[in-house]
Amino acid sequence: MYPGERLRFDIINPLCIFLLCSIGLLFIYSAQISYDGGHWKRQLFFILVGVGSYTTISAVNYKLILQYAHFIYIAGIFGLLLTMPFSPISVDQMGARRWIDVGIRIQPTEGAKIGTLIMAASILARSEIGTVKDSLLVLTKVAAVFLLPMLLIFLQPDLGSSLVFPPMIFALLYVSRLSEKFFLSAFAAFAIALAVLGVDLYGYSQHLEAQREAKNTGSSEVISDYQSLLPIHNYQRNRILTFVAPDVVDPTGTGASWNANQAKISAATGGWSGKGYLKGTQAQLGYLPQAVAHNDFIFSVIAEETGFLGSAFVVGLFCLMVANGIRIAGLARDRFGMQLAIGVSILFLVHFFINIGMTIGITPITGLPLPFLSYGGSFVLSCFILQGLVQSVYRYRKDFS
Amino acid sequence: MSKAFVSSGRSSLISLAVACAFCVLLGRLFYLHVWDQDTLLEYVEGNRKMVNVVEARRGNIVDTRGNLLATTRTSYNIGVDPQAVLDSDLEKLPELARILGKPLSEIEEKIARKTRKVSEDSKEVRLIRWAVLAKEVDEATHDAIKALGFRAVYGNQSHSRAYPAGQLAAHVLGYVNKEETPVTGVERFFDYYLRGQDGWRETERDGKRHELAQYREREVEPTDGLNLELSIDQMVQHIVEAEITRLAQEYEPKGISVIVSQPTTGAVLAMANYPSYDPNEFYNTKKYPIGSQRNRALTDVFEPGSTFKIVPAAAALNEGLVHADDMFQTGVKRVSYKGRTLSLPDDHRIYESLSVHDIVMKSSNRGAAHLGLLLGEQRLHDYAAAFGFGETTGCDLGGEITGTLHAPRNWDGLTITRLPMGHAVSATPMQVHSAMSVIANHGVLMEPMMAKRVFDANGQDVIRFKPKAKRRVISTEVAHSVASMLADVVGDQGTARRAAIDNYDVAGKTGTTQKIVNGRYSRQHHVASFSGFFPAENPSLVITVVVDDPQSNGVGYGGAVAAPAFRNIAEACIAYLGIRPARSDASFVNLQPSIYDRSSRISN
Repeated sequence: MYPGERLRFDIINPLCIFLLCSIGLLFIYSAQISYDGGHWKRQLFFILVGVGSYTTISAVNYKLILQYAHFIYIAGIFGLLLTMPFSPISVDQMGARRWIDVGIRIQPTEGAKIGTLIMAASILARSEIGTVKDSLLVLTKVAAVFLLPMLLIFLQPDLGSSLVFPPMIFALLYVSRLSEKFFLSAFAAFAIALAVLGVDLYGYSQHLEAQREAKNTGSSEVISDYQSLLPIHNYQRNRILTFVAPDVVDPTGTGASWNANQAKISAATGGWSGKGYLKGTQAQLGYLPQAVAHNDFIFSVIAEETGFLGSAFVVGLFCLMVANGIRIAGLARDRFGMQLAIGVSILFLVHFFINIGMTIGITPITGLPLPFLSYGGSFVLSCFILQGLVQSVYRYRKDFS
Repeated sequence: MSKAFVSSGRSSLISLAVACAFCVLLGRLFYLHVWDQDTLLEYVEGNRKMVNVVEARRGNIVDTRGNLLATTRTSYNIGVDPQAVLDSDLEKLPELARILGKPLSEIEEKIARKTRKVSEDSKEVRLIRWAVLAKEVDEATHDAIKALGFRAVYGNQSHSRAYPAGQLAAHVLGYVNKEETPVTGVERFFDYYLRGQDGWRETERDGKRHELAQYREREVEPTDGLNLELSIDQMVQHIVEAEITRLAQEYEPKGISVIVSQPTTGAVLAMANYPSYDPNEFYNTKKYPIGSQRNRALTDVFEPGSTFKIVPAAAALNEGLVHADDMFQTGVKRVSYKGRTLSLPDDHRIYESLSVHDIVMKSSNRGAAHLGLLLGEQRLHDYAAAFGFGETTGCDLGGEITGTLHAPRNWDGLTITRLPMGHAVSATPMQVHSAMSVIANHGVLMEPMMAKRVFDANGQDVIRFKPKAKRRVISTEVAHSVASMLADVVGDQGTARRAAIDNYDVAGKTGTTQKIVNGRYSRQHHVASFSGFFPAENPSLVITVVVDDPQSNGVGYGGAVAAPAFRNIAEACIAYLGIRPARSDASFVNLQPSIYDRSSRISN
């Protein structure tokens, strides 16, 4: 301890968070203005709770968290188990069990994300790893730690959320000085997985073709459901196909690719400086479906109403926040803190890149929300907690003076 | 500061990833926002913009006294877009409720309810863009609502063509079909004036393709169609149709056509046919077979028969070949003509000799044949053509046919003796009527006039149609001379005694022709006709009655079937139109009051 240590405080991320939250509130209001949605009030409440959590967590030394990493992780997994069909408090919504209902609806995925990050970081922090062979045990532990929640989330099913785990874990491993060979082989495995998925999707598109043919010719021959070894749902295939080959899955542009098209249009109609606050037409007139305009597609609303300048500003804020997180990781003087800051930053990077990417048509549509902007209590709270951890890392680092 | 736990290489790789993400997103945003904006904008505009056609209101058709014969009913469904209601509009609600005659609470409730669920148990809500406040309100109410300046409340207009008088003058009026296409009658002929100019408005629509009234821009108001005043007189038309109904019941004919017009102007006061139909139910072909829509007065031909005899008589007089008193040997059966022996047609009663006057009065076929022989082929043909046979009368209804008048070079040997009695020629009732009108109009052929004027919403003339004289056919003197012969047709000695009216000089000519059935003249099937005018010296009305195939005991003579119908119509018209007798006679005051009294006129 040295004088002034407690006064240390990173101002960049809180500033980014403040701006993003404000923008989020404004545009949730805008997205729902045409039908009197009151979600912005609830979002404000979540943000206030989040600010409280942020303050608390940043006041706590992150090393304390290291001691309780197991408990946090187990709590996260327990939360996920509660969403399983056998749980009495799980909520089935549109075929997916992602929520539990305890008076208010909670999405345990967020908690599991935090828990997994802390757990993986703590494992990597405690053990020295070098070559793959040397650290096989550690790798196995890490793999178990992140594969379990990933599997549980995948079963909900929530493909998008489960897909944020691998980049996060790989980033953690990467900064843990694991040998290059590991990453090369991981990359190879990734390529193979992509190829398998590609074959699966090709088969699926052929299936769709056959189905349409049968419908057109009025043939009574029943086309059986698409059979594949890969455990993914057809709507997930549709989403990916919508991105890769929209003509195959939805020739008219009114079905599966509707959201993608309209979101893209929203962005495009903004122009340089946008149509002006509350003056966007895509969301107001219901072209952008109201079920998604205020959460997953909030960026479309921003892009339309504030144009290129506004959306570039938002993207800039995110980049600043992530870059600053990486800077903080670099400043950290112990492995755990560095791991935490990197993990959080990569998590944010994945979230904002995939979310914004899908609204402007460069990534497939997944249900990943936009940190601090999208409506959603659990997610807002988890974002605050994660950023609180980064702040804690910044504040409680040991400087060699 | 050293980077103790992250190798600088790996750290910068992660930073590079962040930078890449930033650049990719920014680049894509730039592409969409700025680079590719025009194409996507165009697409969006196309999605959202819509152009609505605002139908023009079709003009009214009224009779010569302003009675409505055809009109367009405009009604509005008034509704509100709850999303577009402004706070400043709310104070207008009580006034709106008053205009619509609905409780204020009901309207407030509809405005307050902005969303609805897609279905009972669905979570998804939809915006309400149109909540009906009142259905089928009239134009005045709509205008009053419009005057409120309440943009969220608006009416959707609908038009429907209506013929308030039902079957009355159906053939004259025609109708407008469901596709807004005028099919027949003046509806079609004067469509140019009646239809108006449709307006349009550009507006926007939401994702559910509902119109968004608050984004209306560029409203081009429709120009309503002009109104048409016919020369038809609803009452005369009614008189005629009542008489047709009586004839139809009594004789069960195949068809009847009656035309009433003013000789001096050619203005048609009534034109009616049997069978007829109701233009409000033109589509009901079970009730009104499609043939009922035919305006037989213009589209059906018959051999005019004796009514045609005015042509050779007037022609011979006009050429100065004969005087009214010149006698013809009508007792002989054969004559020599251009070196050939021609047999003359039979008369049902043979007179040894008849004057030209008597030929017409007694309707002698042989006498007419003599006149034809005197004239020769070319002159007979030319006069027939001058009277309007073989050409359309130019009646403003369309669908008219020319009938048949062969050129002399196509005549066979008998035509010269048969044409004068109205055989070997076919004509529409309108052509016969026109020819008779020449006599009534002092020798001048007029074009029949259906419409008097086109006028705008304020009643101001836009076009006033003038009577149109086609040509002088015969001299005034000859016309008067023939008129006096025709007056005697209706006299005690003539064939049309039943057309006579007390105190009025009626002039006219009967016609009875055998119908050609299976290529032969039939003795059972006839066309009975009467065409005449009154008063004979200064005619006010020309009336033609043609009855196709009347079912009666014996021959359906024009004098027996058509002439009484003429008289009934004429008498009713005298009372209604106040036509004075040529002779001043004290007995006029004792004229039986007619049921067609002015006071009982249909009014609307």
